[in-house]
Amino acid sequence: MSDLFSGLIQESISGIALGCIYALIALGFTLIYKATEVVNFAQGEIMMVGAYINFFFVTQFTGMVGGLNGWVFLAALFCSTIFAVLFGIVLDLIISRPLKDEPVFSIIMATISLAIILRSLTAMIAGPISLVPVSPFGDSTIKVGGIVISVLDLAIIISAIILMGIFFFFFNKTRWGIAMKATSEDSEAAQLMGIPVKNVYRMVWVFAAIVGVVSGVLLAPRMALLDTTMSYLGLKAFPAAILGGFGSIPGAVVGGIILGIIETVSMGTLSFHFEWIKEINDIIVWIVLIAVLMIRPDGLFGIAKVKRV
Amino acid sequence: MIKGRFDDENLKWIPVLIIVVFLFPFLLKSATFSYKYYLYILNIAGIYIILTVGLDILSGFTGLMSLGHAAFLAIGAYTSAILVDQVGLPFELSLIITPIIVGLFGFVIGFPALRIEGMYLGLTTMGFGFIVKRLIIAFREWTGGSGGLHVSKATFFGITINNDWDNYFMIYTFAILAIIIARRIVKSKLGRAFMAIRDSEQAAQASGINLAKYKMMSFFISGMFAGFAGVLFAHTSHFISTDHFDILLSILFIVMVLVGGVGSIYGAVLGTLFIVLMENMFIPLFEDGMSQFVHLEAGDFQVFIFGLIMLIFIIFQPLGLYGMWLKMRIYWKIFPFNPRKRFN
Repeated sequence: MSDLFSGLIQESISGIALGCIYALIALGFTLIYKATEVVNFAQGEIMMVGAYINFFFVTQFTGMVGGLNGWVFLAALFCSTIFAVLFGIVLDLIISRPLKDEPVFSIIMATISLAIILRSLTAMIAGPISLVPVSPFGDSTIKVGGIVISVLDLAIIISAIILMGIFFFFFNKTRWGIAMKATSEDSEAAQLMGIPVKNVYRMVWVFAAIVGVVSGVLLAPRMALLDTTMSYLGLKAFPAAILGGFGSIPGAVVGGIILGIIETVSMGTLSFHFEWIKEINDIIVWIVLIAVLMIRPDGLFGIAKVKRV
Repeated sequence: MIKGRFDDENLKWIPVLIIVVFLFPFLLKSATFSYKYYLYILNIAGIYIILTVGLDILSGFTGLMSLGHAAFLAIGAYTSAILVDQVGLPFELSLIITPIIVGLFGFVIGFPALRIEGMYLGLTTMGFGFIVKRLIIAFREWTGGSGGLHVSKATFFGITINNDWDNYFMIYTFAILAIIIARRIVKSKLGRAFMAIRDSEQAAQASGINLAKYKMMSFFISGMFAGFAGVLFAHTSHFISTDHFDILLSILFIVMVLVGGVGSIYGAVLGTLFIVLMENMFIPLFEDGMSQFVHLEAGDFQVFIFGLIMLIFIIFQPLGLYGMWLKMRIYWKIFPFNPRKRFN
């Protein structure tokens, strides 16, 4: 019995780390959704591109320095972030500007097509061979009372907490954050109040790209291989966002962590004890999604919108 | 004067088109030796036409988004394969029963659609696609799991449909039927209710349209079309596996509808033909040309082109191919007196 218990705890911690990744991706499209009402289906692909770019920089710098050390990872992260800023600006130019007043359907389709383009372009440029990402922490683990926690998971959790703290502060305390809130409430009124709505939109896309790239950098060492299937994780973050309530930042975090735990636990301990879970553990997030939408479409933290006619 | 039932449609050229469709294989046979390959591609296009026409009723006319139509196709194909090969029903009966079963699945997925909309619905249907794919693998006693399933040839009232030549006539008979039925649905009370829901749910409800009933109806009809396509798919390709019914296929169906023009039946047909012909004929040609300079993976390049086509159409030509055709027709109708600004 204690075996089962410690197994559950260990998997829960790993699940929280996975959940933090989901939460970061969900944060990416929550940001965009909050300001522009556009749902970005390409967030997972942005994450994947980020992982590839980071891998590229790490190998380049390792070649230049002649060995792996902590500075290499930091420099690579810095360069990837700069890339993310440029990437966000380009995405804003391609997707957000031309489709500002189009119906939701075509914007969603545009982001889906962007997702397809990014995925295939990455596959074409980086080649079909899967790459093996290097972790800055190696395989080191910490032991706390019989429970083994990998340092990487801890790093993911901590950096996710830091990022989310920054965003929470940004949204609630700074001028630009409040401008974004106002834009999401009513873009026309915000424009009349002197808020540069176009710049706000661009900023939102840049932030989403940064979050995406950083989550890609964090996730890549957790995967054994780096290939384009990583982008499917982006799709799995949607149930997380919806579970928490679409458009709510704390909702994205809580939803992501809950889903991460559910997924990891069902893949680990539970599937040894119940045979039938094995069949469904890679679709369990989708079952959760449909259940949430049937029972409480606004999610845990969401507020039901009153629709104006 | 009472207006006749078919007055609003220009039906004169439909018989001509039907004759052209049925004479086309003979033309192809006399023109080229590899006509069988072209017929095979056209057959795929025909099956997809049946499905996209149904998808257009759902997405284009009712405004409900579906990213899981490959799942409906899969359910149709597997149901028919099981009904015919394992239960022992005749193919003709399966043609009637399977679409109804798939339609009922559409009903089930339409149920959450009553409360959710827009991208939530897209996600739900996408999740449905994943779930169906996994469940097909889980019920491996009947479906053969991930290894795939061999399906027998179709026998249609004593005639065995043997090769692509026979398939062509069977598929296009049903495709033309599907187009005509879809046109009639869209022009009927049902279709008008669908369009009212698409344009404004509140206004539609205020005018006495039962939202729940018509949304479910739309899913049911769309599912039936997809099921029909599934039956034909199973019995003409003789082998089905879950790899084929990917999320990418669902997206491809949406691309077909979008490229053709959302909200027009002929648009869906045009878009399907365009995409399938692109996929199988023009992209490989282009790829051969490109491969002299750079090394390319076939699948990636194809997907890249589709994404690009989709993005370009959404941004520059939201009305699609059919919209382009309509614009062109109006342009030539009033040719020397075109207002300058409208056609840019």
